[in-house]
Amino acid sequence: MAADLAEIRTISDEALMLEFQGGSRPAFEELYGRYRGPLYGFFRRRLNGDQRAEDLTQETFLAVIRAANRYTPSALVRTYLYGIAMNVLAAERRKIAKDSPPGKESPEPATQEAPNSVLWIRQALEKLGDSEREILMLREYEQLSYAEIADLMDLPINTVRSRLFRARMALKEFLEPAERTSETAATSESRQEAGLPHAEGEAI
Amino acid sequence: MNKTIHPIEPEELMAYLDGELTSDRASATAAHLGKCAECQGLATELRSVSQGLKAWKVEPLEPAIPPAIVAALADDRPAGGNIPPAPRRGWREVLGQHWPTLEWVGTAAAIFVVVVGIVRLIGSGANNVYSTVPAQMLDSGSDRDRLAARSSPAPMSAAKEAVTLIAPDKQQPAAGHDLVANGPMIIRTAQLSLITKEFDKARANLEAILKRHRGYVGELKANDTTGSGRTLTATLRVPADQLDATLTEVKALGRVESESQSGQDVTSQYVDLQARLANARNTEQRLTDLLRNRTGKLSDVLQVEQELDRVRGEIEQMEAERKTMANQVSYATLNATISEDYKARLQVVPPSTATRLSNAAVEGYRSMVDGVVSLALFLLADGPRLLLWGAILFMPARLVWKKVRRSFAA
Repeated sequence: MAADLAEIRTISDEALMLEFQGGSRPAFEELYGRYRGPLYGFFRRRLNGDQRAEDLTQETFLAVIRAANRYTPSALVRTYLYGIAMNVLAAERRKIAKDSPPGKESPEPATQEAPNSVLWIRQALEKLGDSEREILMLREYEQLSYAEIADLMDLPINTVRSRLFRARMALKEFLEPAERTSETAATSESRQEAGLPHAEGEAI
Repeated sequence: MNKTIHPIEPEELMAYLDGELTSDRASATAAHLGKCAECQGLATELRSVSQGLKAWKVEPLEPAIPPAIVAALADDRPAGGNIPPAPRRGWREVLGQHWPTLEWVGTAAAIFVVVVGIVRLIGSGANNVYSTVPAQMLDSGSDRDRLAARSSPAPMSAAKEAVTLIAPDKQQPAAGHDLVANGPMIIRTAQLSLITKEFDKARANLEAILKRHRGYVGELKANDTTGSGRTLTATLRVPADQLDATLTEVKALGRVESESQSGQDVTSQYVDLQARLANARNTEQRLTDLLRNRTGKLSDVLQVEQELDRVRGEIEQMEAERKTMANQVSYATLNATISEDYKARLQVVPPSTATRLSNAAVEGYRSMVDGVVSLALFLLADGPRLLLWGAILFMPARLVWKKVRRSFAA
């Protein structure tokens, strides 16, 4: 059994999925172990509230269990799982839109304890277009390749590349003013302490 | 970013940082990035965006599987019988599924290989791992066998592989140590030139001698040119400890015209090669570990992979060198030339008159055809040119001719 477990650790996702199709529970547990964290992160960064993210992660895995037979080895398990997760997320967003009255965004509970840097990141990401934001997040947080993102979003790979580039350039612009403001504030403070004129500090 | 100045697009640079470029474009990009400050600036910006985004971390999730999933697994777990067979099954999952059976089969196979290996080693009666094999090569001196001896890297490699199967990691260095422990490693080469009156008998005897001393033919050439005796040039490989006995027997096949022997001590080279090989293997292991526990950037991983490729190439080269050296030491080379004592013979049958007549007729016909063809070729090749010059020179020549005639007449 120990040999079984050691062996299972080195097996690819795709082989594990096939094992699970064949009825192997350890294979599913291994897959769960590998993707629990990443999928939770996927939902957590895209929705408000950690409990909801946990529920949706669970929902994704339940969908995997129910639809295990539909998986074919031509697709990567990673892409397959994120595909399901995106469907779950879309359903959740539709539900939220239906439940909450129009024009009134739900408050952001997670930001209160979040550090400033995270706040800026969230705000900067909010300013991006939906597609660009999604591509950027899939690349940066889910670490998907361009081809996998293209597959998931049903876009040509070159479009993914150019949108990703645009998103990163835009994000640089959005993040920089925040950094600059904090830097400028810090610099002017130090200059004032040193007895230098304020105007020079601003000119930097 | 100006396209006319930079050979790479900014998007390409980004794809390079993401490890999404093909290797040729990646190397071009890396080369450009090394010398372009502007692109380095863009790369730094792109990296800092990615780095900045990394600050958004998500708290870890409870590792236990939630009860809802456990329940779903118990209810809906796909039963093996209802599932259609998967279209493609990787060896890993097949391995995983049949692991207990494979364990038994593997153990039995390993025991079998070990037993067979030990029996063969004992059966050979010598400490030489190659000694059992080459006998197959000597059965006959037919051309087919000689071809096989020349084209294949000798059956020793097969024997070596069989031995290697028993303990792939330990066998090779052990064999090397044995070779070194048995005393200095000397590549022995002998050269022998013989003249014999009974050429056919000598050749048959040579094969018998080889067979007796468990040697084989490395290369063999036989010449039978008119006007001189037949010669046989052979490169023979015999176990090093059998060289002297073989030489004595081969010398008895005829009159020795020349003989020489040489020995090259390669002990230090061999030991050095082994040390370098061990070092390279250690490096390979370290690099493999590094790759397995990779946490760095993709470009670093690529670099490690390149380095690993290089080290593996070196290992293969050194391993081949080591094998060749071990082979040269275990088997001495004997270059033997056997020439026939030539007796000139009169050509007793002169060609018949009919043959000579028919030869003459054929010659005549051939020269006639050649003549016609040559004329046709000349006309085709030079005719137009001659006609042209004739036309140009005709009128002046005629005038000159008329003047000459007139002056004569006057």
